[in-house]
Amino acid sequence: MKKKRFDLATLPERSAKGIDERFHASTPLRRMFNKVFPDHWSFMLGEIALYSFIVLLLTGTFLGLFFDPSMEEVKYDGVYTPLKGIEMSKAYESTLDISFEVRGGLIMRQMHHWAALLFMASIVVHMLRVFFTGAFRKPREANWMIGFLLFWLGFMEGLFGYSIPDDGLSGTGLRVINAITQSIPVIGSWAGFALFGGEFPGTVIIPRFYILHVLIFPAIILGLIAAHMGLLVKQKHTQWPGPGRTNKNVVGVRMFPGFAMKGGGFFMITFAVIAAMGGLFQINPIWLFGPYQASVISSASQPDWYVMFLDGIARLWPAWETRFELFGNGYTIPPIFWAAVVLPGVIVNIGLLYPFLEARFTKDKEQHHLLQRPRDTPVRTGLGMMALAFYLVLFASGGNDVIAQHFDISLNAMTWIGRIALLLAPPAAFWISYRIALGLQQHDREVLAHGVETGIIKRAPDGRFYEVHQPLGPVDDHGHGQLEYEGWVVPKKMNRIGALGPAIRGFFSPLEVEDKEARKGKAKELAGKK
Amino acid sequence: MSTQHNDSTFDPDEPHLTRFDLVREGARRDGVEIVHYEPRFAKAGTAAEKRVERTIAFWFMITGLAALAFVVVYVAWPWEYEFGGHLDKWYTPMLGATLGLALFGLGAAQIIWAKRLLPAEVSVQERHDDVDTVEQKLTGATLVNMGQELNVSRRPLLKGAIALGALPLGAAAVVPLGGMIVDPHGHGDPLFHTGFDAKQFNEGKPVRLVREDGTPIRPEDVSVGGQITAFPGVPHGTTNVHADSPTLLIHLRDNDAKLTRENLGRVEVNKGGMWQNFVAYSKICTHLGCPASLYEQQTNRLLCPCHQSQFLITDNAKPIFGPATRRLPMLPIGVDDEGFFYATSDYKVPVGAAFWERP
Amino acid sequence: MTSSAEQPRRVPGKLRRRLGAAARMLAALALAGGVYAAIMPASQAEDAPKTLSARAQEGKALYDVSCISCHGTNAEGVKDRGPSLIGVGSAAVEFQVSSGRMPMAAQGAQAERKAVVPLFEDPKKIEALGQYIQEIGGGPQLPGEYGGGDPANGGRLFRVNCAQCHGYTAGGGALSSGKFAPPLDPANSAQLYGAMLTGPQNMPVFGDNQLTVKEKKDIIAYVEYMKNDMDPGGYGLGRIGPATEGIAIFVVGITLLVFTTLWIAGKS
Repeated sequence: MKKKRFDLATLPERSAKGIDERFHASTPLRRMFNKVFPDHWSFMLGEIALYSFIVLLLTGTFLGLFFDPSMEEVKYDGVYTPLKGIEMSKAYESTLDISFEVRGGLIMRQMHHWAALLFMASIVVHMLRVFFTGAFRKPREANWMIGFLLFWLGFMEGLFGYSIPDDGLSGTGLRVINAITQSIPVIGSWAGFALFGGEFPGTVIIPRFYILHVLIFPAIILGLIAAHMGLLVKQKHTQWPGPGRTNKNVVGVRMFPGFAMKGGGFFMITFAVIAAMGGLFQINPIWLFGPYQASVISSASQPDWYVMFLDGIARLWPAWETRFELFGNGYTIPPIFWAAVVLPGVIVNIGLLYPFLEARFTKDKEQHHLLQRPRDTPVRTGLGMMALAFYLVLFASGGNDVIAQHFDISLNAMTWIGRIALLLAPPAAFWISYRIALGLQQHDREVLAHGVETGIIKRAPDGRFYEVHQPLGPVDDHGHGQLEYEGWVVPKKMNRIGALGPAIRGFFSPLEVEDKEARKGKAKELAGKK
Repeated sequence: MSTQHNDSTFDPDEPHLTRFDLVREGARRDGVEIVHYEPRFAKAGTAAEKRVERTIAFWFMITGLAALAFVVVYVAWPWEYEFGGHLDKWYTPMLGATLGLALFGLGAAQIIWAKRLLPAEVSVQERHDDVDTVEQKLTGATLVNMGQELNVSRRPLLKGAIALGALPLGAAAVVPLGGMIVDPHGHGDPLFHTGFDAKQFNEGKPVRLVREDGTPIRPEDVSVGGQITAFPGVPHGTTNVHADSPTLLIHLRDNDAKLTRENLGRVEVNKGGMWQNFVAYSKICTHLGCPASLYEQQTNRLLCPCHQSQFLITDNAKPIFGPATRRLPMLPIGVDDEGFFYATSDYKVPVGAAFWERP
Repeated sequence: MTSSAEQPRRVPGKLRRRLGAAARMLAALALAGGVYAAIMPASQAEDAPKTLSARAQEGKALYDVSCISCHGTNAEGVKDRGPSLIGVGSAAVEFQVSSGRMPMAAQGAQAERKAVVPLFEDPKKIEALGQYIQEIGGGPQLPGEYGGGDPANGGRLFRVNCAQCHGYTAGGGALSSGKFAPPLDPANSAQLYGAMLTGPQNMPVFGDNQLTVKEKKDIIAYVEYMKNDMDPGGYGLGRIGPATEGIAIFVVGITLLVFTTLWIAGKS
């Protein structure tokens, strides 16, 4: 068709051809476009982390234009009156300048910080989903490990970010990092001095953490995210079991057109939440903390939430110190070594290797692409809840002074509550969730066997009352359902299977209204035709 | 994934094929079967469809307006810091609200579009992840072939040569990190000394206790039941250069001081460290090094706000609660001829968090 | 209470060197005594004839109604009930009564701030009570004027001397075994000054030699600055710090986004 006259219109087609001639991109690209995504809300939690990371890169780049990671001492001469004339490091001064003297700098700082908290929070939520549904099983062990490492890399990355403004909280955190490093047997003080370039705090730690924060760790995280997504594409999504869904297929929508558009929309909404929080909720107001001084501390000094569990264990761990003598010299293993080095090490290793541990105990060597509902794996659910309870007790203990103050509880009592809860809550959580899982499973089996309760009471000729049950499928001679228990969602209410009229669909409001209008429209058209 | 479809029979240029036929064929080749693909509105241009379009348009408009508002706020809103509750304090919230709304509108428009206008779809993709043992064997052979061609085990000379060549190179790769190493027991043994070490920092003259602004402290400066943060009166003594030196000087009541004095004998290094009713302890917590400085003047407890260790001042700053295991080190003090506090010696035990070589 | 006449405790090993300095020491202490007398003249109470001014008489009447049961006749204290008020000065009275801490409702870990009791709603009555305590025992007094401080110097002093208990943002903090440092938000300038000067409850005393009148005013200026400066970054979440920020990211951020995922994945 009139190619010569419509050059512009054929430009995309011609360039696409040109590209394919050079890169042979057609097949892999189309394969990408046709990747099928299962349509379930819980599969989108990890995306929040991905999108927050993009926001972190964008806002972080902006901050990098103005931040000066130097520990050189200067006298503040900016607009914030209560700090005028105060000696501070350039790092702190430039952070103040970003907050007060760069137009729009404060919202960038706050968005960066909120995005960091969101990044970590969504990783945890996503990880819980993956754990409780068994999505980490073969063949996805490697992706579980990458995800788990991403949490710890994010943890370190956040810690560096928290440290580099050199405000009062940063320095306190650094001091604790120093103490933890020094607690390592044999090499502790050497490691601490190597990290800080001498005695705490020295003059190099902030530049060093800065380069880790803006280059090394983001690069590693970016690489691991790429690997995480690459494996996801290669291995394809897991899916919930259900009609037509087998271990050999994925049922859902293709990336093009439906999923890409939804994903793009979700990115925008994640970005929107971060932007709104960055503007509407103040975070880390460093101007109130003052520059770091070794003699200064504030009540309720805390790390960011994802580090708080480590602070919690430091608070709860009893004063158990090992002291001994060797060749006339005294040596010490401080309690914090067990609490903040050994224990996190154990947690990291158990978490990292969990897929293999579980497979070993269950002697499971199969490939799994169908998810399990938490009720169908009571032991795993129990273990997960146990770990979660352990984590939550430590997390709450990381802020036990804030709780003590605001809820009028004795601080000492809070420590003891935390210590006791740390021992009692995990087994209790295991037992309770184990029982609940079995109970839910039992109920599903009952419904499969006897059908759904209809709420209709009938009276038999012999005067007996009974409730009519609606069987879900064919029944045998005793009226028992013959459906196998397969870990699918079992309908429990009549409206799920249509006996009580259509279900209310739609998220906030019923969509039926619209359908009615559509029907009305159709009716009109029909009437028009007549 | 291998494509097992017979491609040769498919001609994309056949005139009766619609574009969707091509899409379906493409999907089929990628192992995807489009089971269900149905437009949301059976007939184009109905009132309901128009309404959805208007909703989407509305969100795009919101995005445009909010983004415009963002630009206007960014440029025109008074933003320079002022004390109080002026308009500048609304600058960041306004930016956040407008940007948030703009992005939300864009997101909502896309999601509504995808949910309400794009066809409803169910596709099934085959996983094709059956293990291909032939492939495994071919690749394995290629790998093993490389090893056999090198055949190091049959060539002991090369084996040794590789070890001799590679190991030093490995060391050479690691050694530059040695630039980071600083001897913790080198220059002045900083783990065991603070700014109150007269020999090291004050040419052997006794080191005075000074305030944050560098002025020396007299006994009458601290009221009974009062405490003051003291620093070593040496160059940079009040800065972070001497981060292990901040000291809490406490003026006890008579009866508390009496008790303290009686208990002092229990700890060998603390003997004679008080001056009258004054006592000075390191402010650096023996747990993790936070400044333990929440002094309760009635109970004489000192609390560290980081991890809740509590120390009893009247009993040699013994840890009585929380994770700390060691007493706060005492700074032995006296008053010099001019009436100022000074440290009669440096701290006698290391200050701050414990470490391996600490006795 | 320490009296200004106390001799330096002599350490035998250092006696020789100290002897020469003893005279100068005594002179210094005598000088200090003058200052002490202003703060803690405990000995005055016994010898002064009790001729009270009219204001103090009025104060005594109030004292006999609402304080005497715990602090005893002549404010000498009752064991296990209330401490002696000899030498605490009118500053302590004005701080304790105007912030509602005294009269105490019940014995607890710590006197808590509450509404001023109706009897003392008229500030003149608190002044009269203060006058009474001042006249019978002496002690520190409030200057009455608190303005003109430098918030920058005040901030510096606040961080070293106050932040450890009251927090960087003056929101208060927990102390051991149920005690706490209160938030400074409800306190007015006179109460801030009074607290520093008298060291109520477990708060250390910051006498005028440690923090001069000017420095106290600087600290007050800083606290007032923080109080009246609106947060520039939006809602401050109570200025509590990472603990509330961590809760906010789950309650607001994660919750909103999980709802969004439900919306996106919901059938349409």
